[in-house]
Amino acid sequence: MSVTTFETMGTVVSVRGAATATVSAVRAVFAGYDRRYSLYDPASVLSRIAAGSLRLADSPDEVRAVYALALEWRDRTGGAFTPHRPDGVIDLSGVVKALAIRAAGAALDAAVAPGDSGDASWMLNAGGDVLVRGRHGADPWSVGIVDPDQRDVVVGVVQLDDRRAVATSGTAERGEHVWRRSAPTFRQATVIADDIVTADVLATAVVAGDEDDLRRITGDGTVDVLAFGVDGRVWATPGATGLVRAGSPSPAA
Amino acid sequence: MRARVIAGGVVTSAAVLVIGWQLGGQPAVTAQSGAATGSTSGSSSSSGTGSSSSGTGSSSSDSGSSSSDSGSSSSAGSGTSSSVSGTFAGAATQTQFGPVQVQIVVADGKITDVTALQLTDRDGRSEQISQQAAPILRQEALQAQSAKIQAVSGATYTSEGYTTSLQSAIDKAGL
Repeated sequence: MSVTTFETMGTVVSVRGAATATVSAVRAVFAGYDRRYSLYDPASVLSRIAAGSLRLADSPDEVRAVYALALEWRDRTGGAFTPHRPDGVIDLSGVVKALAIRAAGAALDAAVAPGDSGDASWMLNAGGDVLVRGRHGADPWSVGIVDPDQRDVVVGVVQLDDRRAVATSGTAERGEHVWRRSAPTFRQATVIADDIVTADVLATAVVAGDEDDLRRITGDGTVDVLAFGVDGRVWATPGATGLVRAGSPSPAA
Repeated sequence: MRARVIAGGVVTSAAVLVIGWQLGGQPAVTAQSGAATGSTSGSSSSSGTGSSSSGTGSSSSDSGSSSSDSGSSSSAGSGTSSSVSGTFAGAATQTQFGPVQVQIVVADGKITDVTALQLTDRDGRSEQISQQAAPILRQEALQAQSAKIQAVSGATYTSEGYTTSLQSAIDKAGL
């Protein structure tokens, strides 16, 4: 399958199942988000807000809408996820990459010819946050989850049959802005969800939070979680238990 | 077979199970002489692959919208991916330990082995000196999953880290 990669937001995006022109549209989506929200770019809207040269109230509606969305997620996660850096700066990185992936997915969908929308398939992977549509040939798209200790060791495989999004957050990553409220409980968390924003935000929230936060996040059963504790334990929702089949008494067919 | 996944399956809440699987308790590093390389190693003695692609260095990730090159395989570019076979190496990048690259062996679209190669620069030329650094993909995980994956999810890699990542090798293989 043809694979195209490009660099954005400090990481690399891999696109499968897209024509060249469509990949250009996808690149433009990421570049647009990066331009508005990057704190590494002093000219971005968010950098100017952080520097005090632009008031939040004077920022574009879209930026304030993203901020509102981030605050909504802060409330839904009991504060485990927050768009506020400890020094008070508003940092929307925790939602912006996922929003860019979602928008890029819309661009990929828009490029699908009307006639074959039923079986159009693509996969977007932005630095380990994955959104898919359709299937990989006859099989579901499959995503390997890496060992938090060894990034080349796959400890489980997520088959995206019903769900479309996988995101992982971990203490090893940079630029992801996980701010803990206390001593860390988890060092890596993978969330499988219907949409990439939910998966990404909740993965961040699990790593930022503790066991109570994990129970709260998984309480309503809408997402699956695989989390690696700092104590060596591995936590999984019932739906995610089968992901780590190493040593499972019932070998996979 | 092993009961350690289930052993600690204590229900601690309605929705969350603790899997009694100690990451540190299981030797993560399987013997490098294990079966995985042996069974598919027709193309895995890849000193040629290693030295040929190391010249690209760490610069390949900024190359814009470049279609990935196929490694040493001839079948990566087109059509269904189930028939992809071969050995694929990510770009080499400089680390404090010297140049490193990740190499995967693919048989019929499935990753059968992953190896981190450490290269050394001697007399102005890179050569493969060791495959011992990180035998990857636990053997039992390979058996259970057959590692038929198109993406890897973990702590977000940086654009520099991508060049040596498993994802980079998978992308090059066109899986």
